[in-house]
Amino acid sequence: MNKKNGIGAKLYITLCFMFFYLPILVTMFFSFNSSKSLTHFTGFSFRWYEKLIHDNSIMSAVYVSISIAIISTIISTVLGTITAIGLSRSRKLLKEWILNVNNFPIMNPDIVTAIGLMIFFSSLKIEKGYIPMLLSHIAFCTPYVITSVYPKVRRMDHNLANAAMDLGATPFQALTKVVIPMLKPGIFAGMLLAFTMSLDDFVVSYFVTGNGVENISIVVYNMSKRINPTINALSTILIVVVTVILVCVNVIPAIMRKNHKSTGMAYQTKAGTFGRRVVLASGIVLVLFIAGFSFNMSGAGKKVLKVYNAGEYIDKTLLDDFEKKYNCKVIYETFDSNESMYTKLQSGEKYDVLVPSDYMIERLIKEKYLQPIDWSLITNRDNVIEHLWTNEYDPKGKYTVPYFWGGVGIVYDRNVVDEKDLEEGWDILLNEKYKGNVYMYDSERDSFMIALKSLGYSMNTKSKKEYKEAYEWLIRQRDTMDPVYVGDDVMDNMISGNKAMAVVYSGDGAYVINENENLDFFLPDQGTNEWCDCMVITKDCKETTLANQFINFMLEEDVSEINEEYVGYDSAVKSTYEKFRDDYYLGNNACAPKLDNPLNETFRYQETELKQYCASLWTKVKSHQK
Amino acid sequence: MNPYYIKEKKVSNTIIEIKGLTKNFDDQQVLRGIDLNIHENEFLTLLGPSGCGKTTILRIIAGFEEPSQGEVLFSGEDLTKIPSYKREVNTVFQKYSLFPFLNVYDNVAFGLNLKKVDKEIIHEKVTKMLGLVGLQGFEKRDVTLLSGGQQQRVAIARALVNEPKVLLLDEPLGALDAKLRKEMQTELKKIQQEVGITFIFVTHDQEEALSMSDTVVVLNDGVIQQIGTPIDIYNEPENRFVANFIGESNIIEGTMLDDCLVKFDDVEFVCVDKGFKKNEEIEVVLRPEDIKIVDLKDGQLRGKVVSEVFKGVHYEYIVQTDKRDYKVHTTEFYNLGIEVGMRLDPDDIHVMYTMEY
Repeated sequence: MNKKNGIGAKLYITLCFMFFYLPILVTMFFSFNSSKSLTHFTGFSFRWYEKLIHDNSIMSAVYVSISIAIISTIISTVLGTITAIGLSRSRKLLKEWILNVNNFPIMNPDIVTAIGLMIFFSSLKIEKGYIPMLLSHIAFCTPYVITSVYPKVRRMDHNLANAAMDLGATPFQALTKVVIPMLKPGIFAGMLLAFTMSLDDFVVSYFVTGNGVENISIVVYNMSKRINPTINALSTILIVVVTVILVCVNVIPAIMRKNHKSTGMAYQTKAGTFGRRVVLASGIVLVLFIAGFSFNMSGAGKKVLKVYNAGEYIDKTLLDDFEKKYNCKVIYETFDSNESMYTKLQSGEKYDVLVPSDYMIERLIKEKYLQPIDWSLITNRDNVIEHLWTNEYDPKGKYTVPYFWGGVGIVYDRNVVDEKDLEEGWDILLNEKYKGNVYMYDSERDSFMIALKSLGYSMNTKSKKEYKEAYEWLIRQRDTMDPVYVGDDVMDNMISGNKAMAVVYSGDGAYVINENENLDFFLPDQGTNEWCDCMVITKDCKETTLANQFINFMLEEDVSEINEEYVGYDSAVKSTYEKFRDDYYLGNNACAPKLDNPLNETFRYQETELKQYCASLWTKVKSHQK
Repeated sequence: MNPYYIKEKKVSNTIIEIKGLTKNFDDQQVLRGIDLNIHENEFLTLLGPSGCGKTTILRIIAGFEEPSQGEVLFSGEDLTKIPSYKREVNTVFQKYSLFPFLNVYDNVAFGLNLKKVDKEIIHEKVTKMLGLVGLQGFEKRDVTLLSGGQQQRVAIARALVNEPKVLLLDEPLGALDAKLRKEMQTELKKIQQEVGITFIFVTHDQEEALSMSDTVVVLNDGVIQQIGTPIDIYNEPENRFVANFIGESNIIEGTMLDDCLVKFDDVEFVCVDKGFKKNEEIEVVLRPEDIKIVDLKDGQLRGKVVSEVFKGVHYEYIVQTDKRDYKVHTTEFYNLGIEVGMRLDPDDIHVMYTMEY
């Protein structure tokens, strides 16, 4: 009986440990992968570590995360401890009141705190960036310190401080030599909590930062389009560092205590080290603070250009090149979707150059948010593929310069999918031969585009009846085909050959085909979404010349070549596009897709009411999964 | 009220002078005008029931509380302006308040370390002090693992090693068991005589106060009831409160007929008290051990033994007379129910003013 219990307990513990640590181990393992895949191990290499060190944006994010974590931990620990001590001596009513108030930020959803802080800083006209982020972190870390220190203060004999002063200690000495040593376990627990809360905060940081200051979680979040093993490398380093720190803090005090108890004379030196430690800590704060500030301010005096682009959508070394060439400073920030970009603009954030997609550009033009391009500065205009200049979102060709473009198609496994079935076009997604073998792209507009095209309607239809039919198409597909709705993990899954086919963007298709030679790509004859992302200049932009120069710079042939190599989509620059089509991606059907089908369309801006209708239908499709 | 006076035991200088001291906590007055002189080398005890204000006086002297009104002079200097860490007094706390993260040696050396005294001198002083309190060889012990008595000694050593002019002790024996408390009483007295400084001792235990002190200050409700030597306090309580609080007594209302003549329970007694008005209403204190049980015919008072309790050294009887019950202590044995007489010699009778409230 006993023995049985033992086995059960061991099994339980093993499962717990596996659940906790296996993901971490997998992450660490794939940081040494020689290829870009996060699921397929192709060989051991330090490639991603090298890349990590050379990636300025990640390194500066590491710096921001860690410096903010350290400073906010130190400050919130001091604040929290003082508050806890003060509270224990306050009147009961005040004490209860403050302790309850203190719980608010802890229980509040992060998003509420974040929005509150964002509004707070905007209303005070404090420029978003390092300082607001630091202040916010101090604000949300302090309650955790108070919560963990206060019980220790309450349990402490209050005469201890009196005893110290009675023996000749000044109030400050009583604090440092008696009260703090007594509270050490609580203070330490609070410190650790504060440090972790600060280090892995995303939501609050995301809302209060700006001017290109990003911490690790923001960078990773914006990378979500294409997570690459650099993040694994970074995680591995962080895990190792944290483990080493934890081991140190757990082992060193034990050793110190041993020494201390055995000498009996160690007290004097211990008291001395405390003072030194305080000085050291304040030193660290000061240095980091100044560094952080100068980091925030670096490039002061130079002209500044603020660029807002999708995550992983530029080779950042190009930004350095541009800065050198035009002796300016580029503040580069990223978003994860057109919609979140729009929200950020609405919140009052100001940028000079944006890179939105077609339908979003239409909206921005409609809302008079853009200013015309100065074509006299765009000397590389002729480098752009001719037909990209004709479009519906910017009919007069005043505001936009194409950046990357492509189509939506189906990537399939040649060994599984019958060539003949491809003639069905989008309807292949309803072919029950491939039931349970299909990835759909988890995107409302693209999914409806597929259904509408399959039904022979325009993907920009304004008819609710047609949307309703498309909805039924999607329901039917869902119920008969058991598709899996995925995000960008579709790439890894297809490279691993997990399913027969998937709806993908052409650039992503080109990438997966390159990694798995069994795959191919086709564009259904019923037409598809022919998308284009463009560079635009906002009406807020003061450095218009620099903004135009930046756009022109991105159109340079060698620049766009470097950029395409990194991003992997089809460049708007003709020479680059052709070079990749005929060289690197030769024979890859997803590269340079033939977008000559007259049935192809580009997304148009959707009116709010239709958009909401569409969104509610899409929610139903996804929520009624069997 | 009677003018309080201090019996000058040894002629010595006043070290602490308290004048008109009051203390209010919120709307509650815990000290109502304390006047007190404390002398060098004196073992002074503040005695009173809990809540009488005795600890507050101590905390004001130590500097943990500020007086609401009045003066505290230390060697003639205004003490209230000096922060607690600069005062030449040290305290032994009720629950010792030792520093649990330091060992015995470092606890005792705490004050000297703060003064940046040379390490060798510290070592010498701490060792000597641990010897004085009988804790040689305990230097490296963890204070949290010591017994109550040992912690008590560490607390005393920690305070005394700083060579204060006055040592304040806040009910330091309260947490000890009866036997250990007796031992520590003797020891404290011995230590006080050895170091030769003023001890101000706070307690609610009258026996402790009587056996150790040079001077006892009886407090009640923030007012000093009586200041005097233990013998004065015991034998000549100035009012009903003191008489009741110190030892056991029979307190009887009576009339002062003349100098050295008092009448109570319809019987006239010769006494030694003078200076009262004629026919003044007074109270008489009779200590139970002063009442002598005699033959019925020899008794000034007569009554019946209605209760008998064995107390170890003596018996305690309740003798019922027509007027009241008398408590009597004697080593003789009397059967319950017998009629006895009681006699009082003149110096067994102590006359006091009637309490004014």
